[in-house]
Amino acid sequence: MITENQLRNIIEQVIGEINVKDKEEVKSNNISNYCSEDNCNEEDIPDITAVNLRKEMDVENPVNREAYLKLKEYTDARLGISRAGARYKTFSQLRFRADHAVAMDAVFTYVSDEFIEDMELFSVNTMCKDKDEYLTRPDLGRRFDEEAIKTIKEKCVMNPQVQIYISDGLSSTAIETNAKDTYKSIVQGLNSYGIKAGTPFFVKHGRVPAMDFLSEIINPDVIIVLIGERPGLATGESMSCYMAYKPKVGMPESRRTVVSNIHKNGTSAVEAGAYIAEVIKKMLDQKASGLDLKL
Amino acid sequence: MSEDILSVGIDVGTSTTQLVFSQLTIDNTASIASIPIVRIVDKKVIYKSDIHFTPLISYKEIDGLGVRKIIEKEYERANIKPEEVGTGAVIITGETARKENAKEILNNLSGLAGDFVVATAGPDLEGIIAGKGAGAAIFSKEKLTTIANLDIGGGTTNIAVFKDGEVIDTACLDIGGRLIKVENNKISYISDKIKKLATSIGLEINIGDTADKNKIKKITDRMAVLLEEVVGIRPPSDDLEYIVTNKDLKRDYKIEYISFTGGVADYIKASEEMDFKYGDIGVILGESIFNSKVVKEKKIYKPIETIRATVVGAGSHTTDISGSTIYYSEDVLPIKNIPILKLTEEDEKSSYERISEIISDKINWFNLENEKQLVGLAMKGVRNSSFDEVQSLAKAITKGMKEMVQSNFPLIVILENDLAKALGQNINIQLNHKKNLVCIDSIKVENGDYIDIGKPIASGTVVPVVVKTLLFGY
Repeated sequence: MITENQLRNIIEQVIGEINVKDKEEVKSNNISNYCSEDNCNEEDIPDITAVNLRKEMDVENPVNREAYLKLKEYTDARLGISRAGARYKTFSQLRFRADHAVAMDAVFTYVSDEFIEDMELFSVNTMCKDKDEYLTRPDLGRRFDEEAIKTIKEKCVMNPQVQIYISDGLSSTAIETNAKDTYKSIVQGLNSYGIKAGTPFFVKHGRVPAMDFLSEIINPDVIIVLIGERPGLATGESMSCYMAYKPKVGMPESRRTVVSNIHKNGTSAVEAGAYIAEVIKKMLDQKASGLDLKL
Repeated sequence: MSEDILSVGIDVGTSTTQLVFSQLTIDNTASIASIPIVRIVDKKVIYKSDIHFTPLISYKEIDGLGVRKIIEKEYERANIKPEEVGTGAVIITGETARKENAKEILNNLSGLAGDFVVATAGPDLEGIIAGKGAGAAIFSKEKLTTIANLDIGGGTTNIAVFKDGEVIDTACLDIGGRLIKVENNKISYISDKIKKLATSIGLEINIGDTADKNKIKKITDRMAVLLEEVVGIRPPSDDLEYIVTNKDLKRDYKIEYISFTGGVADYIKASEEMDFKYGDIGVILGESIFNSKVVKEKKIYKPIETIRATVVGAGSHTTDISGSTIYYSEDVLPIKNIPILKLTEEDEKSSYERISEIISDKINWFNLENEKQLVGLAMKGVRNSSFDEVQSLAKAITKGMKEMVQSNFPLIVILENDLAKALGQNINIQLNHKKNLVCIDSIKVENGDYIDIGKPIASGTVVPVVVKTLLFGY
């Protein structure tokens, strides 16, 4: 039988060891170093989302650290995050939640008025009245009410060669980060091909097929939308460009051409714009889009 | 949309002349929803020639016409017409790579080697090409290791060190199998350098002496020791410095693996009493290396090619593919032998105004005796530049390259990072669409390099590019 005293000694010893180990290990990621109860300054808290996961390696004593890091260069997957017992380490758990929060924010925030003004766009809303309806009623995110249609008809040049518009989609962050550079690059590219673009505008609560509806109102040869992609845990900043030659409501999806993955770790915004301009030219030349288009 | 290009590799070396034809397959590796990423997805050697002795007029002079005859015959045997060949390289190696010889070979091979075949030489490039042909570069990438490939030919040993697939170092030594030649059991040739090396270990050998295996063995053993030194098994001696052709290894990294290519590689094994089989000391040198610490103490990678490593490298590994979003004017390509002016990283960090001054200063370096020549501007370029930054850079380049703009030459810009299409469009606007322009990316070049840019392939998405390190350094 172990006496109560012996048991206590053992527990004390174990706890003592745990503490020592903790102190050694958690040098860089220990938040309590930066924030105690009576003295908490937000600026002192390290930004865990600033850590480049591709360069982080938390496995202790790896056989070949360099090879593991090389492998990690190829993927955003959370490899080599190690574990504490059966669980993630605190840093991994917090980072996972932070990345999830970034994705949620990208969906639920709105593109700012300043951004829309700065790009000299006017804004119209689809038939969704808020984000909840936008998320639950995709059908309403494809259509516009009479008032919106009237605004578009008043402000837009009708029957342009190319209609470009920008829409929040599922990531406002993606639009605020990339849309301006891509847009400028597309317009310049089109100019150098001698192709004229119509009046650009912004669509709030927009789904991709809203372009078909808009095409029927404005009647361009080609319509394109820069739209925020559904964010993932790797990035919330990814933008797509959907394009179609004379689309109609209800047309098959195979008639749409898309350039996706426009963000800083994918295709750069400016280079994407230059490429999109060329794709538009091919659409006009071939009078086709989607699978019918030869790139 | 997979597409095949036929590539030729021709290696004219001190001792042998060889040819291979390779089929390079290019394809779009990106998903349908992304910007295309066209890459070389497969390389296959489809024809290997016999290994011919290089026809020589004298020990230093090549018989250009003889080389032409060999190549013509091999084209015939492979049933391939020169016009079917899309790319490739003629590599002139070893002691043969002197300027007069190179010219002679070029003149004789012109028209024979397809429209877009480059002739090149230089010990660094040769070693790199051999290492790639041997599979050493890929091996180091797959194993994440460091490997030194020793290409031991007739006249030189060309060393290229690869770490994780990238070249990190090169060297060239005057060690080879034909630096002493033997005819009718008498020494018929000995290179000056080897003669002195022999003297330094107390041996005297002269042309006309009877070829004594034991004596020769002492010299090849000495050569093997120098190889131990160059890969860092022994501390470097003065003799190593002496035997270096142009450049020693830096040895500030650890070499894990060694591979051997070149004619001598096949004889790095226990002696079979063949001694002067090829009228040279290659077999004996192989035996000396086999018994050296290079083989005993380092891990050895068995290459996929030995004597053919250089020619396979020339056929399969000299052509690169540009990035898939690029900008070029119709009908200006191909352009060959474009000398490169590369901005330093510091230059690129300067203001746009300053960048343009730097370019116009540096471009003057290329104007010899008031004669203008075509120069390609190379830079790294900033990843994820904003549109305004790209526009400002386009202005700076156009202004800095004013001399090129005013000449009849096309304007050529080569970038490492993916922004060539956007930059090209912007430069084109600066030039009012009035000037031929080629702006490509995903290509790494350095000052002193020359590059060839081929006709667009894959429906005009990409251009083939051959980067050549400085030619004819003799």
